Amino acid sequence: MTGRLREWWERLVGFLRGRQQDVDFDDELAAHVELAVEDSVRRGMSREDARRLASMKLGSRLAARELAGDQRGLPWFESWIADLRYAWRMMWKSPAFTATAVAMLAAGIGLNVIVFTVTNTVLFKGFPGVRDNERLLYITALRSGGASYADFEDWQSQARSFQGMALVRGGRYTYSDAAGMPETFDATAVTAGTFRLAGQKPLVGRDFAPADEVPGAAPVVVLRHGFWERRYGKDPSVIGRIVHVNGVPTTVIGVMPPGFSFPQNQDFWLPLVPTPEIRSRANHNNWFVLGRLADHATIDQARAELDTIGKRLEIAYPLTNKGFPVTAHRFHEFFIGPNATLIYQAMVGAVGCVLLIACANLANLLLARAMTRTREISLRLALGAARSRIVRQLLVESVLISSLGGFAGFWIAKWGVRIFAVAATGAGLSDQIAGNWFDHILDYSMDYRVFAFVAAISIGTGLLFGLAPARRLSTLDVNASLKDGGRGGSSRRSTLSALLVVSEMALAVVLLAGAGVMIRSFLKVYTADVGFNRHGLVTALINLPDAKYPTPAARIAFFDRLKTQVETMAGVESAAIGSLPAGGSQRIPFELAGAPPVDGQRLPVLAATTIGPAYFRTLGTPVLAGREFEDADRSSRVPVVVVNQRFAAAHWPGTDAIGKRLRLIRSNAPGPWLTVVGVVATVAQNDPLQPESNAVIYLPYQQENRASMWVIARTSLPVSGFAGALRKEVQNLDPALPLQLGPFTVADRLAERYQYRAMSGMLFLFCAVAALLLASIGLYAVVAHWVSQRTQEIGVRMAIGGSARDILQLVLTQAVTTIAFGLGTGLGAALLLLPALKAVLIQVSPADPITLVVAACALSAAALLGCLIPARRAMRVEPLRALRAESS
Amino acid sequence: MPQERRTPAKLDLLQGTLDLLVLQTLASMGPQHGYGLARRIEQLSGDEVLLNQGTIYASLVRLQQRRWIAAEWGVSETNRRAKYYSITKAGKRELAEETSYWARLTAVVGRVLAPSGGSTK
Repeated sequence: MTGRLREWWERLVGFLRGRQQDVDFDDELAAHVELAVEDSVRRGMSREDARRLASMKLGSRLAARELAGDQRGLPWFESWIADLRYAWRMMWKSPAFTATAVAMLAAGIGLNVIVFTVTNTVLFKGFPGVRDNERLLYITALRSGGASYADFEDWQSQARSFQGMALVRGGRYTYSDAAGMPETFDATAVTAGTFRLAGQKPLVGRDFAPADEVPGAAPVVVLRHGFWERRYGKDPSVIGRIVHVNGVPTTVIGVMPPGFSFPQNQDFWLPLVPTPEIRSRANHNNWFVLGRLADHATIDQARAELDTIGKRLEIAYPLTNKGFPVTAHRFHEFFIGPNATLIYQAMVGAVGCVLLIACANLANLLLARAMTRTREISLRLALGAARSRIVRQLLVESVLISSLGGFAGFWIAKWGVRIFAVAATGAGLSDQIAGNWFDHILDYSMDYRVFAFVAAISIGTGLLFGLAPARRLSTLDVNASLKDGGRGGSSRRSTLSALLVVSEMALAVVLLAGAGVMIRSFLKVYTADVGFNRHGLVTALINLPDAKYPTPAARIAFFDRLKTQVETMAGVESAAIGSLPAGGSQRIPFELAGAPPVDGQRLPVLAATTIGPAYFRTLGTPVLAGREFEDADRSSRVPVVVVNQRFAAAHWPGTDAIGKRLRLIRSNAPGPWLTVVGVVATVAQNDPLQPESNAVIYLPYQQENRASMWVIARTSLPVSGFAGALRKEVQNLDPALPLQLGPFTVADRLAERYQYRAMSGMLFLFCAVAALLLASIGLYAVVAHWVSQRTQEIGVRMAIGGSARDILQLVLTQAVTTIAFGLGTGLGAALLLLPALKAVLIQVSPADPITLVVAACALSAAALLGCLIPARRAMRVEPLRALRAESS
Repeated sequence: MPQERRTPAKLDLLQGTLDLLVLQTLASMGPQHGYGLARRIEQLSGDEVLLNQGTIYASLVRLQQRRWIAAEWGVSETNRRAKYYSITKAGKRELAEETSYWARLTAVVGRVLAPSGGSTK
């Protein structure tokens, strides 16, 4: 075997050295002939005959040389290089074609890479710095709103398919140190071992230890790298320093590595210390559990196991767990959600379609160009080139072009993604979670998946648009095409061209229809009736620290005073304290007065939210019956409640809701009976697109005792002007109190929620317009070519008296047939494909007739426009010149 | 081992066969120049092999690359400068292996083809 290896080594060396021919080879061949001649002469042949015989037997010296030379190099590889060189030369011979093709591909590939990179980041990469993201699962009983500490302990101790689990709980905390004023930051309370699950260790200092989680342990905090950098200039001596978190002295024990922010966008982490209140099984508001799959386990096993455990808990603790099955989700399932996932996939599909259309156009261009190369190829075939060799040569050419396009596209994408990352900051990327959750977390850099995608798509497109023309050229009838000067196979060629254009137009129709329904659906979201006047409404969140406002009375007094202050601000029409309009609600079990008694485990659940006086006046929502809350509704008075019309209609249909009573069941104990004092128009508190979710009751904050409330003002001031004034008012009341969120306009907040839908709608529209443009250029090219091919025929027709109208008809018949086929196929494909989008379409059918008609009209118009230019040229053909040109 | 090198392509078999003939000739006759080898193979095969003598040089390059033969300029009996090839130790080992492989192969092929070969005559 060593012989073989040696041979290849020698060949490689020979190849790298540029195949130095054996300098003696000619001598050797000469000696061969001489020896042969001598031999024959000795056997009695004449010297002349002997020489002839020797030459004949040796065969062509050139061939012998080639053969021996091939043995010294890597002929197979060398022929590829020769193909590549040739392709390179061909490219430069037709710079216009090359530039068009490379530009078209660069745009198409660039667009695809941008969308792929974003999708890859949003759906698959997960949090930066997390090891084996795909093995990390997010576990909740989502319908209950999360997981309780007690649930977490049970899951952790019983589940075998996980290496470990962690419970996390996000929140807003005030933080202060020697540097000055307390400020509010996002932070996450985590169980010890959370960082280990993510596969990360603190850069400096130490990780949380189980001892930090014991109730009564000295409070500690771990900082995010960016926070450490901003606040302490990366000073390592911060470790061990005492800071105040929510007013409590806390020791800084560690700083995480740069870029690590998990499992949300936060500035520091605290240990999750299980107080008796936290341990209560009923306490599970928006917490979730992370689990890393054990090495042997699959996600299906983990799901099955959690399902079993969850069912056991449902039986064991019916009051808190009944009806809340447990599931594990992957990153994108949990954070992005099925609807947004589908939209991202649809975007990948849309840009893929654009690239396909570009490929079809290039294939057509190549086919047209093939005409000019018929002679060259025929000659090579006639000289004995194998057809496979010709196909290879032509494919090398197209792949070279597509690789250049891919290279340029990659750079376009690098910039595009950078711009997108900036634009997406603060934008909602999914229905699932609030807008800024992912800010500065998602890492849009290109990883190996993106590089593999770029490589695959570059080569793939080259093969795709090159294959048909290459096959067509390699099957030329050599004799015919050499004889008739390059007209062979033109009818088959035009069939293929027409087919390509038909599929381009079909794809364009699908994209147009897709863009149409996506945009209509987005407009539905944007213009959906939210039940209040969103314009001129500005809001900010205030969170009162427990340390300074320990009693309900202190908190209520603060909010009452703040409301009065804001009301009197210049430019403010009306102000209220309350929950964020369209900002969600709490789920609480309840009971109606006079309803038949229900077994405690099957209590109905309502949606509740907390507000203050003048809330509906500020929102511009009409009060339909009774009144809204007043300052007089103090906690000392009769407990009251306001319900919205949808709630009233659902529970007291046909009767007056005013004066009806209901009570809430909290921590398994019924609260006091609440009397309905008002019925208001329905505000889309939970989801404007799911009316049934918006049956809501309103509780007065003066009776509800909450530390975190939104101040809402109807104002003519711009947000920036309002912000300064509001901060001043707050500081007048409490100089150390920051605004927790905002202020921002409610309209912006609403728009943000569906920003990714807007983004995808725009992208679809862009793709559709690009597709339209490309498809009509495609049709233009084909018709133009058809006209130039038939110049002679047209000339004859005109010479024998055909009118310009006849000619126009001739050309248009051709074009209209193509358009009709394209439209038919496209509408059919749209009806087949678009139902896949059904889940994300809002109040729009995937087969929306208006959209389909508009798409069809747009395509027909663009396509007809595209073939008008060649048609006019055909009409202006001068018969004599046309006939002469052909014969010369 | 040798079987692995045998791809079913016809050209490979021919090429390999020529290599084998060259090795065998050098082993039995000692150092030879290109013409001598070509002539010898023609003679030994009873002029049945229609050898394009030029092709022998590719084979010689290959065998040298594999270090199965060595080359050296020398002088022929007619006082002409010529390149002489001789078989190396590795070449002898290879020849032995190849010969036994060849014998086995031809025996098997012969057995398989024998009955039908007989009936067509």
